[in-house]
Amino acid sequence: MTKPLICVPGQRLCILDKTHESGQGTYERQGYIYSSLAGVVDVVDKDGVKVVEVQSTGEQTLVPTQGDIVTAQVTILTQDFCKCVIKCIGNTVLSRTYRGILRREDVCATDKDRVQIYKSYRPGDVILARVLPITEAHTYNLSTAENELGVVIAHSEHGYPMVPISWTQMQCTKMYTKELRKVAKVVPENMNTKT
Amino acid sequence: MNLCEAEKTFILHGVEENFRVDGRERSQYRPMELETNVVAHAFGSSRLRLANTDVLVAVKIETDVPSVDQPDEGKIEFFVDCSANATPDFEGRGGEELATEIANSLTSAYRSTKAFNLSKLCILKGRKCWKLYVDILLLECGGNLYDAVSLAVKAALWNTDIPRVLAVNLDGNNVEMEVSDNIHECVKLDIVPAPVMVTISKIGEQCVVDPSAAEEQCATASMVVAVSQDRFTTVLQSGSGSLHPSTLRESLKLGLEIGSKLDQALIEVLKQKPAKKQIGFLM
Amino acid sequence: MPTDNKRIAGPEDSISYRLFKETSNESVLSKINNLKNNIRSDGRKTNEQRKIFLKCGVVSQAKGSAYFEVDNTKLIVSVYDPREIPKKTDYSLKGELFCIFKYAPFSCPNRRGHQQDAEEKQHSAIMKRALESAVCRHEFPNFQVDVYVLVLENDGSALSGAITAAGIALAQAGIPMYDTITSATLAIQGSTKLLDPTLEEEALCTIATHKSDTETGYDSHGIIVLAILSTHEQISEFYQLGNLNLDTLNESISILMNATKEIVPLVEKCLVDYVNKTFKANGQS
Repeated sequence: MTKPLICVPGQRLCILDKTHESGQGTYERQGYIYSSLAGVVDVVDKDGVKVVEVQSTGEQTLVPTQGDIVTAQVTILTQDFCKCVIKCIGNTVLSRTYRGILRREDVCATDKDRVQIYKSYRPGDVILARVLPITEAHTYNLSTAENELGVVIAHSEHGYPMVPISWTQMQCTKMYTKELRKVAKVVPENMNTKT
Repeated sequence: MNLCEAEKTFILHGVEENFRVDGRERSQYRPMELETNVVAHAFGSSRLRLANTDVLVAVKIETDVPSVDQPDEGKIEFFVDCSANATPDFEGRGGEELATEIANSLTSAYRSTKAFNLSKLCILKGRKCWKLYVDILLLECGGNLYDAVSLAVKAALWNTDIPRVLAVNLDGNNVEMEVSDNIHECVKLDIVPAPVMVTISKIGEQCVVDPSAAEEQCATASMVVAVSQDRFTTVLQSGSGSLHPSTLRESLKLGLEIGSKLDQALIEVLKQKPAKKQIGFLM
Repeated sequence: MPTDNKRIAGPEDSISYRLFKETSNESVLSKINNLKNNIRSDGRKTNEQRKIFLKCGVVSQAKGSAYFEVDNTKLIVSVYDPREIPKKTDYSLKGELFCIFKYAPFSCPNRRGHQQDAEEKQHSAIMKRALESAVCRHEFPNFQVDVYVLVLENDGSALSGAITAAGIALAQAGIPMYDTITSATLAIQGSTKLLDPTLEEEALCTIATHKSDTETGYDSHGIIVLAILSTHEQISEFYQLGNLNLDTLNESISILMNATKEIVPLVEKCLVDYVNKTFKANGQS
């Protein structure tokens, strides 16, 4: 293992030119790239351009930003929206949860008018969702209008785990009752991150 | 008030040219209006209007027990009230942070014995002293609150009459004092060395004094200096932002210069005022 | 505040013993003049700082934390995850810092209350101003990061220590920052300038003294706290108390700038050690 290149905030890393770009954990000022975190310097080659990044070694401090895939748990249902609690951003588990809101029109990509919230989600469901641009303070607007997004873990009325059987249905493993959900197609990428 | 980038650039260019949006130079103040003795129930009061910043200050006096650490000194306390009249942002507890910040800066500025001598407020060492309550009311916010408040406070203290104590008797643990019956027989405080605060904002590469509300938004950093007789009693930064050491030195120099001039002008104006309005025909 | 019932109250007409302590003009002057060859009571030179001990990651619950100690000044800083700004309705593009500076009840000669008093509130505001320019606030819009400081023992220069320690705690918490932040205190009495003052020295420098009995003019006196972003040479906070002229102030700025430069390697080392430790731990797992 090579010795890691350690830096502290405010340390000048390299000059900013056509072959060097500032990546995560860095910032540009007056033609140079500086570190903004205490961590290890990482240079990633991307199409001939070296992206300079700094990886924090401890737990990362993240807040959801537009476009992030988040894992959330549904808490409250209403006619027009459901409220959820954001628990993970990408692969990072948050130590402090954030509030999110999923509107009826953002549940599915198609047939937006016929969507009914209670036929898509129930309180307690764990869902994957994408963060939409922030329009109001305090709450993140979420969307599940993609095949890969929606319910991943759910329990039936009787409290047993359910498995997906179609795009819109899940079945209880114990009672074999079927319930309606907006099911996510869990892609291998997400599978990998869980292990 | 929120400014867009173009407006900010406009202000910045104006400052660069030494010709600000309202036609002033960088080291020029806006016109001020000062009235004293405006509140009937206060021992001293003043109202200062600096362009569209409006401040009302009233001083109330009570007797108190001196603190253990300073048995031969009186007390002075500052309270700032940001009323929602000034801006809707102050509604509820909105203005509290700003209020404590201004009150704290005044406390620090008046703390030095040289700037304000509290020992004159002592009636009987360790037993009784006067306590000045300086209540500051912000009626309108048009930028540059620190300067306006400090000037108004100094004027109000100048205007303050402290009742004359004729005799103090010690009866066991009780302190009895006799105050003059004549309401015009009062003691004035020595307010000449009281500090005056000057806010210096760094806009672009230049330092300006007396920023308007719009200019305050363009400032990268602001310093507040309290000047008392060519000396600094308090220096602090207001708002977030940082500056280079050379800029700091520059703004300190500018602050001292402007502060001394401002102080002189204020004292001149205050001296012109008649000491007391004569009301009634018997006096 | 709950009253202490178990403590035996003194007689009703009692006076604190501290009243009988000498704090007159002469005693202060004699103490300052006693600094022979610029050697202070604890053996330091006037421009010498006390030895600093720094450690980060001391509070396991917190995202980032730091312990700071110089002789008898001891304090802990902890930094927590960003959270929503309470009671705020509009959207702010920049995140905020929320600082609480608190003296432990037993940290000073006088007992401190449980609630923040005016001085502690002011210190909190100063810390907030100092740290806000060091943190990349645009990285967490609409959120606030909490910074809590608890002074366990106060023997002077607690505020500047808190700012330095908070910088480390923020960096350890992985909050993006523009620079490391260091801070130092200078106390001035007459022509004597004491770097990194103890509590006693701080008290000496808040009292105005006459030069001599014949003169009525006061000498300069005061306390200055300066916080700086070292790489970019940006002063993020400058706070002065007392009564000083321009020359003294300019001179003090130079002294404080040098003093803060001396602390930078310590801060860097503390952070590098932490990164090294966690990097190895990550590598092993």
